[in-house]
Amino acid sequence: MKNDERRTRPAAAGPSLSALTAAALALPGLAQAQVETDLLYSRYEEADLPGSREANGQDSERYEIDTYLFRLAAPLGDQAFVANVTYETLSGASPWYVQPRQPGVDDTPVQVMSGASIREQRTDVQLSWALPLAGIDWGVTLGYSTEDDYRATSGGIEFEYTPQGVAHTISGGIGYSYDKIEPERGASSPDVIAEADKDSLSAFAGVSWVLNAKTVLQTAISYGLHDGFLSDPYKRAYVADGPTLVADSRPGEREQFTVSARLRRYLSGIGAALHADYRFYRDDWDIEAHTLELAWHQMLAESWRLTPSLRWYSQSQASFYAPYYQSLRSDGLASSDYRLSPYGAVAVRVDLRKALPGDWEIGGGAEWYEADGSYAIDTVEVENPGLVEFLILNLRLGKRF
Amino acid sequence: MPPLRVHRFTALGGPCALHVQADGDEAVRAGEAEVLRIETKYSRYRDDSIVSRINTAAGTEAVEVDDETAALLDYAATAYEQSGGLFDITSGVLRRAWDFKAQRVPAQAEIDALLPLIGWHRVTWSRPYLRLPQAGMQIDFGGFGKEYAADRVAAVLAAHGVRHGLVDLSGDIHVVGPHADGSPWQIGVQHPRAGGAIATVPLVRGAIASSGDYERGFVRDGRRYSHILDPRSGWPVDGLAAVSVLADQCLIAGTAATCAMLLGAERGPAWLAALGLPYLIVDAQLRLGGSIARS
Repeated sequence: MKNDERRTRPAAAGPSLSALTAAALALPGLAQAQVETDLLYSRYEEADLPGSREANGQDSERYEIDTYLFRLAAPLGDQAFVANVTYETLSGASPWYVQPRQPGVDDTPVQVMSGASIREQRTDVQLSWALPLAGIDWGVTLGYSTEDDYRATSGGIEFEYTPQGVAHTISGGIGYSYDKIEPERGASSPDVIAEADKDSLSAFAGVSWVLNAKTVLQTAISYGLHDGFLSDPYKRAYVADGPTLVADSRPGEREQFTVSARLRRYLSGIGAALHADYRFYRDDWDIEAHTLELAWHQMLAESWRLTPSLRWYSQSQASFYAPYYQSLRSDGLASSDYRLSPYGAVAVRVDLRKALPGDWEIGGGAEWYEADGSYAIDTVEVENPGLVEFLILNLRLGKRF
Repeated sequence: MPPLRVHRFTALGGPCALHVQADGDEAVRAGEAEVLRIETKYSRYRDDSIVSRINTAAGTEAVEVDDETAALLDYAATAYEQSGGLFDITSGVLRRAWDFKAQRVPAQAEIDALLPLIGWHRVTWSRPYLRLPQAGMQIDFGGFGKEYAADRVAAVLAAHGVRHGLVDLSGDIHVVGPHADGSPWQIGVQHPRAGGAIATVPLVRGAIASSGDYERGFVRDGRRYSHILDPRSGWPVDGLAAVSVLADQCLIAGTAATCAMLLGAERGPAWLAALGLPYLIVDAQLRLGGSIARS
């Protein structure tokens, strides 16, 4: 072929690594495709709920989750396949409903925990396929997740594109998930619904800006739409006038918007990188939330990498949320879920990684998280008693072949 | 545990060193043989090399090339595209005007006479046939042959069971695997104005390649003339003193480093950042920048 048309091309500012890699890997003996495998164990443990916040005045153990994750990433020419298989066991008591400590005497909301200990297993398989096509990097994902009472099937397509002559990258994607729940009946849920489902659609668009040689700014917007059964079939809400317990009942639709900015600043002189992320969230249940995260990636001698990070979160409450209700709302909505309550949270995390002989890598980390009304931007007048505090410990073992 | 041994030889115009932790010298001998094979096959000084055959046929007929050469030409075509025409294997004819040994600055007329002979877009490349349309045109693999050789030798060592080793072909480096205890190789990045290293980069695997105005350049009347020539103007580039890039393949690291030098201080760093590979730059004032963790 004659290459005359290339003459008019502008001097490149948006080169494609995948194009160069594809050409390099076509050379004999250069395709050193490495298969990566990772095994991750993580333990999530919620702190006991203190008796002072519980209806029966006794400390109560909460949720524990043991997670085992196996990841396999296999490049094939300029394409890549990734499989993630997760197995989790979940056990412990969870918040059931909130009531006044002594109706008519002491209005302080206190938590009632689900009596029966829940023990569940969850298996999740996520597959993804990355391929360059027509100058654009594409990704296709498929997922399936199953629990004793829950099944979710999801899929998505995303892309990343660097136009010629610019120093930014455009990305976007859409996703869909179908979730079906068939709740189990138990001591704390004798009258739950038989089954329900929901559809979720998500979309995002982002631009990654190369500000200068050491600084990259990623900005993104995303949208989510959930339609169907969005309540928690195992939770109740307390209505004082009854007095009675009603089923947790939320709107059948939820629209979510987020705007986020992530700044990556390399401090090459000291072998470090600063990551600063901010995210604003708003949904049509009236929840507004802010997340701010700072992480410091520090390379240490002899292939050690230490990453301390700090996260702060604050949200306002859903319009229909209350710790408990004096009388039933006219629209019938009711939820005392602490995740819909006004609160703030802080999390501190440390990760450490080390490369070992024979293409092994080990790592570990710990995260401590605490939700509290006092961390929120706005004053929280009545704090939900079920706010959570947890610790996550994880161990990771990686091997490249 | 087998001892760490260093096998040194001279090839591809510079000092080569194979550092391996291995018993016997079979692996390093095979590695050296691979360097010599590539040098022989792609040398423009040997009449029987494929490069000489193509250049001799310039202005006449197309030359049929073998699979390895075809893959290298495909790579050169891709690099030409991705660099917006800056990475160009036909720019070697500028050597007729630029004699870096004699440190002579050519007249503009000499360069102008050569520019019509430069440009990959003029070449007819229809795998496996390559045709240089005008007599006097040339291609050469000097811009990426050494980096390709480093990748090939690393593959040869790995095929011989080497798990801990490093290939160093005059500073173009491909790490086969970390030291036996898992610790990285500490790669010194050449100081562009003095002996020794301006920075040290720890590397466990993959490659690092460097390009700088210190290689075969000269200073005349207060101006530095780098051997890195812009194929569009025929003149040396200035702006950056040196660039080092990390990549899985030394070939890509070298291409990226060369392109960044050609793009200069203003556009080079952004181009590298857009490419997404870790890099280290030294600007004309000898200030360090880039995204490589180093000490």
